[in-house]
Amino acid sequence: MPDHDHDHDHARTVKPMVEEITDFEVLEIALRELCIEKGLFTAEQHRHLTEYAENIGPTAAARLVAKAWVDPDFKAAALADPIAACKQVGVDWLEPTGFGTPSDFVAFHILEDTPAVHHVIVCSLCSCYPRPILGNSPEWYRTPNYRRRIVRWPRQVLSEFGLELGEDVEVRVEDSNQKHRFMVMPMRPAGTEGWTEDQLAEIITRDCLIGVALPRPGVSRNVITKTRPANNPVAGSGAPS
Amino acid sequence: CEGDGSAVARNKHHQDAVGIGDPQKFAGLAAPARFSLGDRVRVRNLPVMFYTRTPEYVRGATGTIAEVAYESPAPEDESWAREDARPEWFYIVRFNQTELWDSYTGPAHDSLQTELPERWLEPA
Repeated sequence: MPDHDHDHDHARTVKPMVEEITDFEVLEIALRELCIEKGLFTAEQHRHLTEYAENIGPTAAARLVAKAWVDPDFKAAALADPIAACKQVGVDWLEPTGFGTPSDFVAFHILEDTPAVHHVIVCSLCSCYPRPILGNSPEWYRTPNYRRRIVRWPRQVLSEFGLELGEDVEVRVEDSNQKHRFMVMPMRPAGTEGWTEDQLAEIITRDCLIGVALPRPGVSRNVITKTRPANNPVAGSGAPS
Repeated sequence: CEGDGSAVARNKHHQDAVGIGDPQKFAGLAAPARFSLGDRVRVRNLPVMFYTRTPEYVRGATGTIAEVAYESPAPEDESWAREDARPEWFYIVRFNQTELWDSYTGPAHDSLQTELPERWLEPA
């Protein structure tokens, strides 16, 4: 029988999962396998932490702010005891270890914007971010550029995000340098009278909760930045935002 | 090599913090807080060898205590696993931007807050 006298389609032949493996991936596998082999953590624990990281996102934070906008009692309680208020939107800061995540700690503040004060958060030292309630930080939040400039030229950086604030407003930068993590509670915008909690939560984007945007009726997505694709993206993770 | 882990030194943090969290596990262990809400403080210019979390941009600046935050070992100790280091009070301090940057161009009321351990602060 000649070599190619068989019925298959070369174009549809299964390819390797990745074309090439990077140094980073080789080292990641080496480190993880050594840690498991030496009993520093188990494969099950690794999976548990990975699943936790894949299930966090800004939805709970948006829900918390929307609830606060429609319920003054909840708002007062949330500002007084934010960790307890997070439980009402399904976020337990003691997860996933029983003592919190090792890098986000259990010290959370909600920064309430007023007509006189606008807050914006940063971690100038690295990328500290309220992950349990806001999910993973955006790429730009981790850049030396944002970390260097927002503390020094906050109004100029905010204007690059399309947010211009009047001189009557105090811009307050919150630098997350220790164990506290912060989230902005923006003011409820005009034009949302009579809206339900669900409708309000739609316009409270991640960017609003960082403080680089204000919620606006009709706007339910973050500022559009150039998304740099990963070599081997996390399956099903959608666009990194 | 499975076991209950209670004698494994690296499990201590978990055992102390489980069910309450970090920094809650350090509550009640610091000396009484030296500063209170509204106090004016100056950031000391301590020597920094190998590690700190006090940004250079606040050293020598004067601000106001915005919150007496929590008790914890300072990062200068914790980062080297000096778990015997005594916890101290941390404070959120508010600075006017004009105090931090010589040529700040925004209005005089613009501000910046950051959190500092007590060792870095002195009365202004």
